[in-house]
Amino acid sequence: MNDSREHQRQALLGFLRSIQKAGRPVTDLTDSDSLVASGLIDSLAILQIVTWLETTCGIDFAVRGVAPEELATIGGILGVIDQESGRSPA
Amino acid sequence: MTWDQLRHFHRQPQVIGWWMQHLGPVLHWLAPQQRRIVLAGAAVLVAIARPTMDLRKAGTRFGFEPGWLEAALVVLLLAAWLWGWYRAAQRFRSLPALVQRHPLLCLHSGFWALLLVLWLARPGTPPVQGTLVGCAVAMPFLLWRLGYLLLAAQRGRLAGTSLRDHLIYLWPPWGGTDTPYGKGHDYLKSVQAHDAEALARSQLAGLKLFVLAAVCAIGKDLVEGLLFGEDNGIRRALGGVTPGIPMLQAQIEAGPGAHPVWMGWLALYGELFRLVLRMGANGHVIVGCLRLFGFHAFRNTYKPLLAESIVEFWNRYYFYFKELLVNTFFLPTFTRWFRRHPELRLCTAVFAAAFLGNLYYHAIKSVPLVRGDWAALAAMFHPRLTYCFLLAAGIWLSMRRQQRRPGQSAPRSLPRRALAIFGVWTFFAVIHVWHRGEASFGERIGFVTSLIGFG
Repeated sequence: MNDSREHQRQALLGFLRSIQKAGRPVTDLTDSDSLVASGLIDSLAILQIVTWLETTCGIDFAVRGVAPEELATIGGILGVIDQESGRSPA
Repeated sequence: MTWDQLRHFHRQPQVIGWWMQHLGPVLHWLAPQQRRIVLAGAAVLVAIARPTMDLRKAGTRFGFEPGWLEAALVVLLLAAWLWGWYRAAQRFRSLPALVQRHPLLCLHSGFWALLLVLWLARPGTPPVQGTLVGCAVAMPFLLWRLGYLLLAAQRGRLAGTSLRDHLIYLWPPWGGTDTPYGKGHDYLKSVQAHDAEALARSQLAGLKLFVLAAVCAIGKDLVEGLLFGEDNGIRRALGGVTPGIPMLQAQIEAGPGAHPVWMGWLALYGELFRLVLRMGANGHVIVGCLRLFGFHAFRNTYKPLLAESIVEFWNRYYFYFKELLVNTFFLPTFTRWFRRHPELRLCTAVFAAAFLGNLYYHAIKSVPLVRGDWAALAAMFHPRLTYCFLLAAGIWLSMRRQQRRPGQSAPRSLPRRALAIFGVWTFFAVIHVWHRGEASFGERIGFVTSLIGFG
């Protein structure tokens, strides 16, 4: 895993901590655990993730489209960032 | 065995072991690749049978007798249309910019072009009329499924897939309505079982859904028989006891004062319970079949009567319809419009999905639209207009409330939870007054106000 991806991962975890529900430590999740099914966030938080990706990573979902399942896991969100910044997932 | 173990029998290692032991060779043979071949073969049969049945039904409604020629033409034209969009999706990046940016608008414009031909040309020759009407009534089923294909293509997610992978949800062997249960390839791929044990787990979870479907069907018959006095097996088995509450629509049409207020309230909540149980009974069978085929998909209905907010109920009541509206209307609006105005952005996206999208979904599958019978269409949709507006307003307010609640807030106490749940029931029970039926707007308002002592 390169430094840039690790940096993005830490930034994402920081953001998820700010919107997560009580009593579910974000650090317990693997990259493939579903954020909604694990109870960390509710389905509405997907919108907050979209807004965060737009403002922080400059992703234009109007052009690329968006599927909720892409943003359902930490790995999925990092994959979208990778795809949009033109790098292959690590 | 404890109640929890019995309730979750499909997760017990002994049960999974027993299932694998008895179905071992079959499970190993049914590897994902093999399953896709079987399902694609079944999809071809569905591609012939479903439009043929739709055409026969359309013949009764439109007053013509469809023959084998019309049926063959409808099947072939739909197959060609589907093939054309599949090829377009495969070459998505080489399509004109307009199609790349608005694939769903372009997809739906084909359907509207066909309707224009039907309305303006009004073809009288039986094979031409039958073929065009047959295509128009069958297309909405495919439109939403092709929508998932094009959205996946827009995100560049079709690499390494073949027509076989897409046929299985375009003409799904597990059946269903115009709403795509199991969504599209992306979602199905994410939930498919990759080995024999995962397939066993998925199949056992499917069997559990069949049991739940039977429980829901019995519950629905109980409500219909014991509360509303319908003559069904359950009521007869229980000795025919019933207070004989008239159904909600009958009470609305009878007018205020025709029945006591308590009967109105009972009918209101009884109707909500009946709809939830009916949704569970139907949806669990379809998702159960998906799981038998190795796609461990979410349930369509998941304890909606325990939802503590309107948006939660909407998410749990008819999951795949909500997903369709979110993917097709909500997210495209949310990502394109009013990005600098968060409040307006959310409101516009919610109304695009729950109001406009909801109306559009029901309009394009209605017979009056295909006929071009505007008066009948308006009569059919005037109550739904109010229903969809109230639904959208409720969802928007509920989402705003949820967003403003601090993320780390403490869980609610039991009485507050019960109050929240009851509030959600009341909201959905009341808006269902406008769900369907022949009553006028005034009659519906009169019924609702009579429940709280006015009129």
